[in-house]
Amino acid sequence: MDNKNLLYFGVIIALLIAVAAPFIASSNPDGLESAFFGIFGAKEIHGSELDEDAAGAAEEQVQEITGNSFSFGSPFPDYSIEGMEKAGEALAIAIGTLLVLGIALGLGRVFSRSD
Amino acid sequence: MHIPDAFIPLTQAAVYWVIALVFIALSLRWARNEMREEKVPLVAVLAAGIFAIQAVNVPIPWGTSGHMMGAALAAIVLGSPFAAVFVLTLVLIVQGVLFGDGGITVMGANIINMGVVGGFVGFYSYKGLNAAIKNPYPAAFIAGWLSLVVAALVCAVEMAIAGTFPLELGLLSMGLYHAVIGVIEGGITAVALYLIYTARPDLLKSPAGVTA
Repeated sequence: MDNKNLLYFGVIIALLIAVAAPFIASSNPDGLESAFFGIFGAKEIHGSELDEDAAGAAEEQVQEITGNSFSFGSPFPDYSIEGMEKAGEALAIAIGTLLVLGIALGLGRVFSRSD
Repeated sequence: MHIPDAFIPLTQAAVYWVIALVFIALSLRWARNEMREEKVPLVAVLAAGIFAIQAVNVPIPWGTSGHMMGAALAAIVLGSPFAAVFVLTLVLIVQGVLFGDGGITVMGANIINMGVVGGFVGFYSYKGLNAAIKNPYPAAFIAGWLSLVVAALVCAVEMAIAGTFPLELGLLSMGLYHAVIGVIEGGITAVALYLIYTARPDLLKSPAGVTA
């Protein structure tokens, strides 16, 4: 497989994963969030029930502990596009994938040696 | 494993940023010295693929989920832990700025955990294991597993320094969840390495890469 085909083939696989992601991904908290909710009493470490109220309180509590109340309004929070449901998420992740690809190709052009 | 802003005090977050910037500078030096023109498509495809696969949260027990990190794969395939720093930094910037996945002030810590720790643990454990057992795929599986688990434990230590998690409980719960998520990391690392090796054996340079 030459470089051009590797690029095309790789991009197609990445885009397939990106578009499928919102439909197959679990919305459970990730490892760090789960540990956080467990430690702050919103969830048992080995349990699967999340207490939504306690989870909200934990998020306020941690801000008081660290004093870091920095917040930043990202354009597509949690890979969502306003007004679009799963299709919006698929689109957002696909856009992100292509953006990462584009930046990497650009940086590659700047930095790479041609020998 | 993406740390949100509220989990680390600003002064500590700044220290992590400084450390991360040192490794980012070294990763750019890697790009200038080691990234040959014919390797650029592979770097770009790996970065895009890692961004996409990080959106796939796989359910694990205990009401939890986890996704692949990709640092071990990037380091093994590209033959340097700094390649992982390069790729993961790019992925984390896009995730944090565009999608609010991982905080901005704490991005340095996320780059250290997933890029630096993930990349170095993944690369050197793969190198050692592959030399010992002479089979790249189990070596890649274990290296992938180890890279994720060690990154999670480092994250737990950062949480303890921040005062967010008690150390022991943090290490225990982060270790437990990521020991399971690590199976996904190891599995995809080994399979992806096999696929890339099959498509382009020339791109994987020895001794870090696969030797047939």
